[in-house]
Amino acid sequence: MKHFLRMLIQVCLYFYCKFLWRCLKFVMRKLTGRCELQRICYNTKPGASRTMKIETSLRDSKSKLLQTSVSVHPDAIEKTIEDIMELKKINPDVNPQLGISLQACLLQIVGYRNLIADVEKLRREPYDSDNPQHEEMLLKLWKFLKPNTPLESRISKQWCEIGFQGDDPKTDFRGMGLLGLYNLQYFAERDATAAQQVLSDSLHPKCSKFSKAEWEKKRMDKAIGYSFAIVGINITDLAYNLLVSGALKTHFYNIAPEAPTLSHFQQTFCYLMHEFHKFWIEEDPMDIMEFNRVREKFRKRIIKQLQNPDMALCPHFAASEGLINM
Amino acid sequence: MGLLSILRKLKSAPDQEVRILLLGLDNAGKTTLLKQLASEDISHITPTQGFNIKSVQSQGFKLNVWDIGGQRKIRPYWKNYFENTDILELAELLEEEKLSCVPVLIFANKQDLLTAAPASEIAEGLNLHTIRDRVWQIQSCSALTGEGVQDGMNWVCKNVNAKKK
Repeated sequence: MKHFLRMLIQVCLYFYCKFLWRCLKFVMRKLTGRCELQRICYNTKPGASRTMKIETSLRDSKSKLLQTSVSVHPDAIEKTIEDIMELKKINPDVNPQLGISLQACLLQIVGYRNLIADVEKLRREPYDSDNPQHEEMLLKLWKFLKPNTPLESRISKQWCEIGFQGDDPKTDFRGMGLLGLYNLQYFAERDATAAQQVLSDSLHPKCSKFSKAEWEKKRMDKAIGYSFAIVGINITDLAYNLLVSGALKTHFYNIAPEAPTLSHFQQTFCYLMHEFHKFWIEEDPMDIMEFNRVREKFRKRIIKQLQNPDMALCPHFAASEGLINM
Repeated sequence: MGLLSILRKLKSAPDQEVRILLLGLDNAGKTTLLKQLASEDISHITPTQGFNIKSVQSQGFKLNVWDIGGQRKIRPYWKNYFENTDILELAELLEEEKLSCVPVLIFANKQDLLTAAPASEIAEGLNLHTIRDRVWQIQSCSALTGEGVQDGMNWVCKNVNAKKK
């Protein structure tokens, strides 16, 4: 009974707040002569803070047109903006900037949703060793990471050198499907120096801290590093979850002037690999068994960073040069 | 009967905690099994670096299941987890002293695949019938569909008592 009453009060409170909000919007509209979308565009600077406010406003709107506008096809955006302007009785000649701002926001919003769909499609496609395209990508990954060592055969213990679990990497892609391979290959190809550095560090990250003799002794005890490719697949999982949960909106709305694309996502992956590697060395874990603890701590840190609306997971290395604008 | 007496009753009979080690080769399906036990989504599984742990309630027991990566590089760490283990799920470790008399459950996983070997064949291959010093059981299952997993856990709950006595 007590529980029921509490729930009832919460429901009433919700409707009351919603009603108050609507009243406030109505009064503001009468006072300023501008609708909510206009007020947002005039009062907040472009980037994540503006786009996210516009997104909430559109989604919570009582008009069907505004509600559905966040999921229209990218080609229909211009038409939708015209419809919205008409519905809100805004004269485009008096407010030329508004249409452009709204369009930019909507492109980002729709683009983010489509990016989720694209990424999900790749994730769902399992690695297939009968597919020559998949095989070629895998072999390329080896070539980019180990340009000076030829792979002796397709099924080989050598795969362990770049951090796969066994002699055939195909089973390691599992839940992340092709997305894991795409990301790893992108990192190894576009950011080759960094990727090779991370790979070599991952084999013995603490090397610099010890004298050579000490290091040799230490290595006898146990392998301190982590498995590059497996960690890459785990970081892909992290990036994927950040994307789907919407946490990456801040980042993409700040860096992509229009719709974010798959390569933006892959750059984010490169950045996360980089940062994770730094984080791993800072954390200085005892051994690989601490991986999940370190990964969780890293995830929390990234999420906290992304809560700041001005945040962009600023890629500061080769793969993303010339991409930061806005 | 008031709320207080119920609370007291709960307090006097705390759940018995059981520690289960889940070991096996890489890509055997240990994490999938773990997630299936905890009724979690099994479509996003990535290879395990280190270990995962989940607690599951079953028949008045609190099962702490440890899922440890099967990669060759990680296998040397398995022995760190042997202390206080109540149920074990792999055969090669029978020699280990810390694990003497720990009941063994072998999951013959991936039975949803047509090419999977039946449990009886695996039992023969592992020479399970030569085990004399502990109780053991082989359970065919599919972590993907969840078939057989619960049966295995029921066996675990039944045999933990036998070991503790």
